[in-house]
Amino acid sequence: MTTQHKSKSLSWKKKFRDKLIEIIGATGVISSDDELIAYECDALTGYRIKPIFVVLPKTTEEVSAVIKECHHENIPFVPRGAGTGLSGGALPTDEGIVISLSRMTKILDVDIPNQRVVVEPGVVNISVTNAVSSSGYYYAPDPSSQIVCTIGGNVAENSGGVHCLKYGVTTNHVLGLEMVLPDGEIIEVGGKTLDHPGYDLTGLVVGSEGLLGIVTKVTLKIIKKPEAVKTLLASFDHIEDAGDSVSGITARGVIPAGMEIMDSFCIRAVEEAVGAGYPIDAGAILLVELDGPTAEVQAQLPIVEEVLKENNAIQIKVAKDAKERELFWKGRKSAFPAMGRISPDYYVQDGVIPRSKLAEVLREIEELSKKYGLRVANVFHAGDGNLHPLVLYDSSKEGDLDKTLELAGEILQVCVDKGGSITGEHGVGHDKKRFLSLMFDENDLDTMNLLRCAFDTKGLCNPGKLFPTPRTCVEPGMKPFKEHPVQKAGLGEMY
Amino acid sequence: MLKKKIVNNLLRIVGEKNALTEEAKLKSFSVENVQPGIVLFPNEIEQVSEIMKLASKESISVIPWGSGTKSALGNLPESVDVVISTKNLDLIIEHGASDLVATTQCGITLKKFQSALNKERQFLAIDPPHVGRKATVGGIIATNDSGPERFRYGTLREFLIGLKVVRADGSIFKGGSKVVKNVAGYDLPKLYVGSLGTLGIIVEATFRLYPVPEYSETYIVGFSTLEDAHNTVSTLLKSDLVITSLEILNPELVGSLTKRNDLDLIDDLYTLAIGIKNVEKAVKDQISTLKMICNQNGGKGKLIIGAQEEQLWEDIRDFPWELFKAERVVCKASVVVTQIPQVLTTLKRLSDEYGIKTYISARAGNGILIISIKGKLSSIIDSLNSLRSFVSSIGGHLILQEAPPEIKARVQVWGDFGSGLGIMKKIKLNFDPNNLLNPGRYI
Ligand SMILES: Cc1cc2nc3c(=O)[nH]c(=O)nc-3n(C[C@H](O)[C@H](O)[C@H](O)COP(=O)(O)OP(=O)(O)OC[C@H]3O[C@@H](n4cnc5c(N)ncnc54)[C@H](O)[C@@H]3O)c2cc1C
Ligand SMILES: Cc1cc2nc3c(=O)[nH]c(=O)nc-3n(C[C@H](O)[C@H](O)[C@H](O)COP(=O)(O)OP(=O)(O)OC[C@H]3O[C@@H](n4cnc5c(N)ncnc54)[C@H](O)[C@@H]3O)c2cc1C
Repeated sequence: MTTQHKSKSLSWKKKFRDKLIEIIGATGVISSDDELIAYECDALTGYRIKPIFVVLPKTTEEVSAVIKECHHENIPFVPRGAGTGLSGGALPTDEGIVISLSRMTKILDVDIPNQRVVVEPGVVNISVTNAVSSSGYYYAPDPSSQIVCTIGGNVAENSGGVHCLKYGVTTNHVLGLEMVLPDGEIIEVGGKTLDHPGYDLTGLVVGSEGLLGIVTKVTLKIIKKPEAVKTLLASFDHIEDAGDSVSGITARGVIPAGMEIMDSFCIRAVEEAVGAGYPIDAGAILLVELDGPTAEVQAQLPIVEEVLKENNAIQIKVAKDAKERELFWKGRKSAFPAMGRISPDYYVQDGVIPRSKLAEVLREIEELSKKYGLRVANVFHAGDGNLHPLVLYDSSKEGDLDKTLELAGEILQVCVDKGGSITGEHGVGHDKKRFLSLMFDENDLDTMNLLRCAFDTKGLCNPGKLFPTPRTCVEPGMKPFKEHPVQKAGLGEMY
Repeated sequence: MLKKKIVNNLLRIVGEKNALTEEAKLKSFSVENVQPGIVLFPNEIEQVSEIMKLASKESISVIPWGSGTKSALGNLPESVDVVISTKNLDLIIEHGASDLVATTQCGITLKKFQSALNKERQFLAIDPPHVGRKATVGGIIATNDSGPERFRYGTLREFLIGLKVVRADGSIFKGGSKVVKNVAGYDLPKLYVGSLGTLGIIVEATFRLYPVPEYSETYIVGFSTLEDAHNTVSTLLKSDLVITSLEILNPELVGSLTKRNDLDLIDDLYTLAIGIKNVEKAVKDQISTLKMICNQNGGKGKLIIGAQEEQLWEDIRDFPWELFKAERVVCKASVVVTQIPQVLTTLKRLSDEYGIKTYISARAGNGILIISIKGKLSSIIDSLNSLRSFVSSIGGHLILQEAPPEIKARVQVWGDFGSGLGIMKKIKLNFDPNNLLNPGRYI
């Protein structure tokens, strides 16, 4: 049944804390208020909840023992990696604990001939590539936060990056997991080999936002560095032309490794922040990276240049060496933080549209920006239609944040109306759960709940996330729980 | 036997002309020799939903049916009351060529779907066996079938981005979306790839597509030892080459292929078939590099292109079904790439020991071996069991893809599902509480 958490007594808390300390030692349990502050939120800092404790296990067995304790005491728990999530996925729950995987940082196995790496969940994304690059390999998904975010967080969010157009996102590179289920059982799914018999639980758990259990080991696929790489930087007066270039390039049968667009706001902010060599007066820039066998890249380069020219590119620069290429990408990857230079606050939206509709959606966002009187900067994974409109606001101004959230919500509606999605890589988490119903009806959500209930009947694992309204688990065969109209109207509570 | 009343209610849902009830015609819809009571051909998704609602109410078993090409996959069925054929659900709903995505109903054959996509020079990047016959998109999703090109492109899980399913209780839901990048909600499409019709009837699917490569060549090359062949594979995998398909064929298979294709290969050699698809210059450059690598390892090969090349790949995909018209025994082993030679050596030893003949094509870059076995029933059973224990001992899996019931009675079809089995069973229970869909065959 549902887990209603009444406030726990101090003596209960002390006892529970003692048990946790027994399991992982005093240095692994955080309970003082000033230390807990650091765990109140993820990178979406607008939402904050203080957990009762934070635990920092070092092994799978410790994770399992902690979860068994929570299961027994009906205490909700929230997994946490580096806390760089942008949807409030690692936001603690009231009267719950946070299980931070930040001490599980071992790279367990580097198997170059079989192109596999096995890591603990707290390993930072970039460390995987660092561990294999001397052999000529890399781990493809490269979120802009890759120097801090963890593989566990990437798995939970199914994170993307700037090179995901050709090589896919996290789910396409995760082959197996060890995880602790919400009742403490340890299971292994998938592994180094392919085609395991049974349902694809690995595929299900990737992107499940930490609701199905805690991932304690991840088997990753690494890929060979390409023979040749060419990075183009094209500038345009109008962002629509950059958008049309993107679908123009794929229409010609070219799938670049990545295609990224930034508008004039972003260009200026980034130039100020890191000096990436972007043309400061352009209306938009488009970065295109081609990779593969030399002959293929050589064949594609003129096609791309032609499409760019057809779409009124004013200037096309091809990075002359690895150093310049890195600089181009550095600019792109620092786009979010750089916003701090042109606005006191910003809200990162994450929506997806069919890439053929880029130009029209950009116009609609522009209109919304005018309607609300708030600036919107655009930076996005254009190749796969994944927009990141950054709504610029000032939290010290009365009502600015509310207007921002409303505007950001309207952008999602536009995305869904065009046949797209409310999130391409940041997840639903806490922030977007009310928007999930824009894409999925009650049957769709009930089906997702059937799945959650197969893993977590008590609803203890990262509760209150993803689903727009609370859903409980019922015995198979009975109708799933739906909110009563009285509850919906806020007139009564389930108990 | 189905009750008369139920039959009549089912007929009312789809109409008499969209159903089969005569004994004689039902036979060809048998699952492992068990004949259904009725076969239904709904032409609307709502009808599928109505059928499932009725089936839930009456607790009758339902077998989703694409073209039945793979109805031999799975444990022996517990019960076969109703077959739902998706044949009439074969509309392509949308091909967004500029977005490289397409949505289709699932009863369409892969062949028809591909030829529609090809008009825009795009394709769904899977090459399962027997596309030439009638494998449907729904059946391919349900069985997670693939072919040699998975080396370059991966399997269906990489391309299935959205779907619509009728669940056991008749409710219709959708999962995923129609855009290539999406993380809203659980990734339900993944659950259905390889679910073998046990979690619902897949009625609609949205795929990510690829542009058709401009040009293709295949180099086929024999080595005097397995070790030389494998060393070549290792070198190729470490190289910068972007290969589309990379297969090791065992000598028995080479012998039978060369006879059918006028390939004029040396029968008793381990042989690599290496296909590269790309722009023409990139193909030619890479083929010349790979020839060099093969020659350095003592390989003797030839280049094939055009119709002969296409024929070779079709033969590699389909050999278990082409070589044996009946009493087929086909299994699939999965190991890590570096262990392929050990599996091949073990199979050679088992062949000598038990007097069986094995035909093998191994996806050298994926660690998958497709194995077809000929011999005395008892020898096949013993060798399959030894092979499975060997493969398990090195951390791999062996799945029986097709075999006569006598063998399935003595050799487990799926082997060990691992520690995730408990969760799989709970998923099945939650999605199909009365165990109506393909009961007994899988989870
Ligand atoms: C500047 C900046 C740039 C970014 N750029 C990108 C980008 O390009 N692409 C992109 O996709 N994202 C991006 N993000 C978002 C974020 O970095 C990713 O979502 C990342 O995967 C989160 O990892 P984390 O370790 O910080 O996880 P957290 O934020 O700690 O947690 C994220 C979610 O994962 C769950 N979780 C964490 N560990 C586990 C585990 N072991 N088992 C189960 N669940 C777990 C949590 O409960 C939570 O729901 C960016 C964020 C910032 C701040
Ligand atoms: C062992 C093996 C044997 C094969 N034998 C042949 C052969 O003899 N001839 C040939 O042409 N090809 C054969 N193939 C290849 C086959 O064509 C494809 O693999 C394809 O998957 C079968 O598609 P189908 O439409 O015929 O599916 P079916 O055989 O009709 O169905 C396969 C499975 O999927 C389920 N299913 C089908 N449609 C749906 C749906 N819409 N929703 C949910 N579940 C569904 C069925 O219940 C069944 O469990 C074989 C492949 C293998 C691996």
